[in-house]
Amino acid sequence: MAGLRDTPLAAFAELRFRLTWRRLLGRRGIGELVAKVIGYLLLIPIGLVVSIGIGAGTFRAAHAALHGGPQLGLQVDLPVTAMFLGLWQAWTAATLAMQDQESLDLRRHLVYPLRPVALWLHGQAAGLLGDPLALFWCVLLGGALVGAALGRFGAWLLMLAVLLVLFAAATLAWLALIQELGARVLRRARLKALLFAAFYVALALGVALLAGLDRHRPVLRDALAAVKWMQWLAWPGAMAAGGARRLFRGDVLGSLPWVVALAATTAAGGWAAFRLALAEARDGGAGGKAGVGDGLGAVAGRLWPGPLGALLEREVTFLTRHPLPLVLGIILPAVAGLVSWKMRPYLPAESGEVVRALPILGVALYVHLAMQSFWLNGFGWERGGARLYFLAPVRLEQVMLAKNLAVGALALCIELVSVLVMVLAGGLPPGWALAGTLALHLGAAPWFFLLGNAVAIWNPRVASLTLQRSGSLPALSALAGMVIFSGVTGLFALPVLLALKVDAGWLLPPAWLALGALGGLLWWKTLPAAARLLQGRREELLAVVTGDEA
Amino acid sequence: MLAIETHGLTRLFDGKPAVSDLSLAVPGGAFYGFLGPNGAGKSTTMKLLTGLLAPTSGRASVLGHDLADGRRALEVKRLVGVVPDGLSLFERLTGVEQLRLHGQLYGLPRAEAARRADELLVAMELTGDAGKLVGDYSHGMKKKLALAGALIHGPRLLFLDEPFEGIDAVAVSGIRRMLQELVQGGQMTIFLTSHVLEVVERLVTHVGIIQHGRLVAQGTLEEVRGAGTLEEVFIRTIGEDLTNRRLSWLVEPGAGG
Repeated sequence: MAGLRDTPLAAFAELRFRLTWRRLLGRRGIGELVAKVIGYLLLIPIGLVVSIGIGAGTFRAAHAALHGGPQLGLQVDLPVTAMFLGLWQAWTAATLAMQDQESLDLRRHLVYPLRPVALWLHGQAAGLLGDPLALFWCVLLGGALVGAALGRFGAWLLMLAVLLVLFAAATLAWLALIQELGARVLRRARLKALLFAAFYVALALGVALLAGLDRHRPVLRDALAAVKWMQWLAWPGAMAAGGARRLFRGDVLGSLPWVVALAATTAAGGWAAFRLALAEARDGGAGGKAGVGDGLGAVAGRLWPGPLGALLEREVTFLTRHPLPLVLGIILPAVAGLVSWKMRPYLPAESGEVVRALPILGVALYVHLAMQSFWLNGFGWERGGARLYFLAPVRLEQVMLAKNLAVGALALCIELVSVLVMVLAGGLPPGWALAGTLALHLGAAPWFFLLGNAVAIWNPRVASLTLQRSGSLPALSALAGMVIFSGVTGLFALPVLLALKVDAGWLLPPAWLALGALGGLLWWKTLPAAARLLQGRREELLAVVTGDEA
Repeated sequence: MLAIETHGLTRLFDGKPAVSDLSLAVPGGAFYGFLGPNGAGKSTTMKLLTGLLAPTSGRASVLGHDLADGRRALEVKRLVGVVPDGLSLFERLTGVEQLRLHGQLYGLPRAEAARRADELLVAMELTGDAGKLVGDYSHGMKKKLALAGALIHGPRLLFLDEPFEGIDAVAVSGIRRMLQELVQGGQMTIFLTSHVLEVVERLVTHVGIIQHGRLVAQGTLEEVRGAGTLEEVFIRTIGEDLTNRRLSWLVEPGAGG
């Protein structure tokens, strides 16, 4: 035991634990600690409740297989496949969207005489234990195992347990791989530009294809068949489901190739992710190059003379060089288009024009939610540059104004593209809905910025310049963001209640514009207060965002 | 006229003094070297004088303006250039963008800021890297860029925190010459902290030595060093000599593990 404690890796684990612990117990860490504890307290019980539902599903599937019959496909294969693919999808989406796990910067630790793979594996394990959400998925997998055991006890459960552990490991490896690949692509300006262009070309082709769907249905069917192999990109879910279907049907030997294949692909995926992380760390892990949208900053800078123009140019330049706006610029319009295309047919005319317009109205707020890192942690990416705000003869109101205007302009661009894609995919909504989505988006913005500015100043966190490293929001700010988003959504939902009652959608744009004008006035009036707060909290803010505190 | 004057300047962190009862007097046009061992309070003093930190007590005035007077804060900042500890650079800007925007933030028109940025990049031998992101610069290049940023608006007072740290000897020589010319021309007062005593000794006209947050010596270079060298005075004043301390496992060959 003493020997194990004396290994360099144990010392490294202790180092990381102590640093995390001190950070959480430090003056600025208490909030994050509280938020983490709330995260565990909320997610683990919820996980237990949901795992009962999952356990009920696996119980029924395991039990049904005892009796056999023609319904096995429906009773066993379908729920087991849905469970693995659903869990894989939710785990992936939540991890990629929230990015709030404890991560390890491999580059900083390569100096120690430790095997890099051991460091990387340690980082993965610490990321799993330090992230309440990751443990949440593990609780669900535990529920699946218990349900299966209650349904049909036997030796096959050992193989199922192995499969579940492999599934969790495979999903973690898949996530690490996708994050490393994403970071590599987004670091290269030309690849970034190509990706962006390719997405919009594909989108245009897709829209053209859908527009002529009736005439081209066979073409579409063939196209879908040709890309069926893409399901294997989701190999953790697909392979685990393949093995589990056979296991639940009692074919333990038949599941063996799937288990072996899953183990092999997990090892290969993990190894590839590790090699990419190591290569990036040895490259120096440069933050990225100029790319898509370069030059927009200079355009923005010329709109205003003096320091405000310079501040605005800096903000826009930063945003166009950060990978997240590019990703959002691709993903949000695509999701919006998909929702518009798939959801509209399920909203019958009898539900009323307001209900039918909800998807296009919802996207107006969702864009702000997706951009929350930038309005809740506006100083997180400044590093030493933040000092300049306090050294240069600029008014701090203008610093906040430039930040808000730049984020607002970017959000508006994404909103406009999303609405355009929704119209192309789902048809033209009534005129008031188009005006409404813009009024809602523009009207809600000052409310988010008004409250977000206070959070950004009170609780900053040094954030990653790439996509895959660490979180971009402190846990406490994420909680504050949920409260702010819910509150603003509630405020702007009030006119919807009235519009629903009288089924008069045209009421919404003027009502939202009025609320927006009120928010805009409050935001404008409170900018000096935000500037005073910033001046008063400059020491704490600089200590965090310049990295001095780390 | 004094370019910097402080009276009883004190800053506490968690009740412990980082700077205590500091009374500096930096004459206008001086090249003032502010020396002290690690943790003595040099950077804290510079942060107090540039407004990055608020004092717990005491007064400070810069170029005749009381720093406590918030109404004059922007005016003072326009007259001052700073290369702080840790620098003040945006990593996602290119070198040339950084300098131009820096100039604009200090009130220069865009075209003039761009012209000066180009000139500074030549002077700092950074022209070839002007289009690279600052995040990809080496430490020495960042230092030179930060110095260029501090000079772009033609300040009357320049604060430099360890400006030569991490810069090669050739670049140090060039920067030293440039700084000397600025002071000799009577255009500028420079307040500099550095650990490189030989460089400081060849540059400065005035010296202040700080230890444990307190000023322990101050005056012209000749007054402070007397007949010795600055290094001798520094070690005598600080009172620490590590030359006789030995590490047990490195003393005898083969004793290391």
